[in-house]
Amino acid sequence: MFNFIKKHAPNLPSVLLILLLAVPFLLYYFARSGSNSGVIIFLVIMGGVMLAAMKS
Amino acid sequence: MADWFIIKWIFAFSPIAVVLVLMIFFNWSGSRAGAAAWLTALVVAVALFGAHPALLAYSQMKGVLLSLNVLYIIWTALLLYNVVNETGAISAIGIGIQRFSGDKSIQLLIFGWIFSSFLQGVAGYGVPIAVVAPLLIGLGFSPVVAVAVPAIGHSWSVTFGSMGASFQAMMAVTGLSSEFLGPWAAVLLGVAAYLCGFCAIHVFGGWKMIKHSAIALLVIGTAMAGAQYFLVVAGMWTLGGLGASLIGLIACLAVARLKIYNRTPPSNVAGDMGLGWALSAYLILIVIVFMGVMFAPLRQFLGQVKLSLSFPEITSLKGWVVPAGKGKAINIFGHGGALLGYASIISYLVYAAKGYYSRGALSRIISKSIKSGVPTSLGIVSMVCFAMIMDHCGMIYLLAEGISRVFGGLYPFFSTWIGLLGAFMTGSNTNSNVVFGVLQKQTAELAGLSTALILAAQTTGGALGSMIAPAKILVGCSTVGLSGKEGPVLQATIRYGLLITALIGLFTMLAAVFI
Repeated sequence: MFNFIKKHAPNLPSVLLILLLAVPFLLYYFARSGSNSGVIIFLVIMGGVMLAAMKS
Repeated sequence: MADWFIIKWIFAFSPIAVVLVLMIFFNWSGSRAGAAAWLTALVVAVALFGAHPALLAYSQMKGVLLSLNVLYIIWTALLLYNVVNETGAISAIGIGIQRFSGDKSIQLLIFGWIFSSFLQGVAGYGVPIAVVAPLLIGLGFSPVVAVAVPAIGHSWSVTFGSMGASFQAMMAVTGLSSEFLGPWAAVLLGVAAYLCGFCAIHVFGGWKMIKHSAIALLVIGTAMAGAQYFLVVAGMWTLGGLGASLIGLIACLAVARLKIYNRTPPSNVAGDMGLGWALSAYLILIVIVFMGVMFAPLRQFLGQVKLSLSFPEITSLKGWVVPAGKGKAINIFGHGGALLGYASIISYLVYAAKGYYSRGALSRIISKSIKSGVPTSLGIVSMVCFAMIMDHCGMIYLLAEGISRVFGGLYPFFSTWIGLLGAFMTGSNTNSNVVFGVLQKQTAELAGLSTALILAAQTTGGALGSMIAPAKILVGCSTVGLSGKEGPVLQATIRYGLLITALIGLFTMLAAVFI
């Protein structure tokens, strides 16, 4: 089971790409609904993703 | 006040400087440099340009919509390339062209200048580099030359390519007609056509090769620039890039018969696959794109489903206003990427029916496409997203304003550079025209300059920006196995991009003085 997951799990760049494409949709949702804290949380996540992309 | 403006200008420029320095001097990949620039832009935008959470959220969403438009093309272009390459067709095309003409300069002109311009005419969005670079590899050119040549060779045709999308954008934002804007744009882009051809040849063989190719360059360049001018003046600007490249191909076939280009006998090596079958995927692509773009009922049918989001008016804490409107719509079934996807599926079925695939070909095609697509996509998303932050905080506008303030009377020379800057940032002539079109128009009016000339310089600079835009370079590199090694290609294209822009700027300056 572990080996199967290890074999088929996406690599780091793929995960980062999925996050980069998905997080802005959440940012848009929270901005639209006026949730400033939601926007800030996901901006921090996006910053973390960019940091990881820069280091990888 | 002036000191503070200069400081802000330097900070506004810092994300671009980060990309340039990291990619050119430190050989960072586009995805790493883009991420570093995104972080820089975020810090500068928040600290100096009044960015707030909602502004950043909307800008990033717009960035992803723009990115998806580009990624749609990239992923399907990669798919088409791997569908073709898996059969061995790329090397077969190389052998086939060598059998038509043994002259390297003619081969380079056909693929790197004319065919790439044709692809820009029908598709755009990085397709010319993505498709032509592997073909040049098949002809035996080095990977850096294979990416740099189509990047340089196709850029003159960007404005009137993609069915004139960039020109349409400029007309939309400035409210000016094609009759007013078209002639000067066609003149400057015509001059750029010659220069792109010369530089494409120079990348490969230096001055010696230019001397050898001079006749071909002049004849083909005149044919393409002339055809583009007449099409634009006749009101058929949507076919400006496409028609010009087809006329260029006819001129090239005639020039290739000259004695000077037949000293090297064509290769007589026969491949496993005929040239017709090898090119069939691209012929299928051309037919599909023609039908999808030119056949109105089909275009309307495919264009029924569009993904878009609406955005409210956004005002930064410093008062910079971005008007409300819809983000970049993605035409799910009629997009250039969708057309490439249809071509990939049909080509796969055709090659499979002919028995060109071995066992497990489909999984190899998919895994190769994913492997080269992911790093490229990461780079593009991060680049576009940081450009969107800059755009939404007024940083790009400040950069342009600084250039116009400093250079005053020399503004016509630098108007091309502003267009180049916009395209470099966003990887798109269309975006450059949208961002800077109004600024250029207003500056021209204030300075008493010809609006048509300055806007022509803007769109020409935007077109030339395609050859140095990291987003486009990333696309080309991904198809020739240079993912993560974009620095050397950028080094090769940037000097030609800056040289051609300077010459076009000079031409604009002279034209502004004499009209």
